[in-house]
Amino acid sequence: MKGYVKALIIIALGFAILAPFASTYPDGLEKVAETIGIEEPEPLWKGLMPDYTLQTVENPYVSTLLAGFCGMILVLVLSYALGKAISKSN
Amino acid sequence: MHIPDGYLSLEVSILMSVVSAVFLVWCWRKAKAAYPKSFASVLAVSSAFVFVAQMLNFPIAYGTSGHLVGGTFLSIILGPYAAVLSMTIVLLMQALFFADGGISALGANIFNMAVIGGLSFFLVRLIAGNSVSGKRFALGVFVASWVSVVMGALACGLEIGVSPVFSQAGGIVVTVPAMLFWHVLIGLGEAAITTAFTTQLYRLQPAILNGLTFFKRGAS
Repeated sequence: MKGYVKALIIIALGFAILAPFASTYPDGLEKVAETIGIEEPEPLWKGLMPDYTLQTVENPYVSTLLAGFCGMILVLVLSYALGKAISKSN
Repeated sequence: MHIPDGYLSLEVSILMSVVSAVFLVWCWRKAKAAYPKSFASVLAVSSAFVFVAQMLNFPIAYGTSGHLVGGTFLSIILGPYAAVLSMTIVLLMQALFFADGGISALGANIFNMAVIGGLSFFLVRLIAGNSVSGKRFALGVFVASWVSVVMGALACGLEIGVSPVFSQAGGIVVTVPAMLFWHVLIGLGEAAITTAFTTQLYRLQPAILNGLTFFKRGAS
């Protein structure tokens, strides 16, 4: 168990260090749409943290960092449950 | 490569949802009972890693960026079937909470990234030829991760190209080459990161690479 916690801390730290350097350029698909002249339509569902930001946090770095940690926890919990479900029967 | 709401026609959305659902059921059946108990922790940590890695865009060229998709990476750690399921969780969370990839495009996004990414494992195995270490393994990971991004971009280009929003602007004749152009480059980033991480993990922690057991088991 300890090793996994260590790995998670390394991942979270790595993310915190690298997040400010993440490119804000459009990604491949966004660039294609931009080149053709198609604007991105409004999403049907915005979610709680659209574009990986917390609306209530002013500082963009902190906002992205917290959104990232929230996402990590959500993914962790769900995939742990998935792991339990598919490894249970043996 | 996450398709937002509004780019796909209803027909494409439904078709891709059905195709992805079939793959998910198949992967669920294949993955079930194939793993030891400790697997849940490995699955959780590697999925969380892929989630944050996808937030870290790297610049490519001409004001465009890309990020790790992570399908091949997950398949080496989890095996192909659990990798598809793990990536699906990441995509689901992105669509539900972060407006990254539209809810209506989830089926297409699952196919383009989770299914193609996870199943790129078989290309790794084909190239590595059952050797789980050394240069052929690294080459297999490099090629498969590049191919997975390029194939995902091809699928994405076709899906948006046949849908009205983009078909008015030229359709697949425009979208497919444009998607391929950028993702041939983005795929190199994917390949470099995936190869570096998997070969290091192989060196440091070979025991957590559950995907390697699928090498020994042959065609299962």
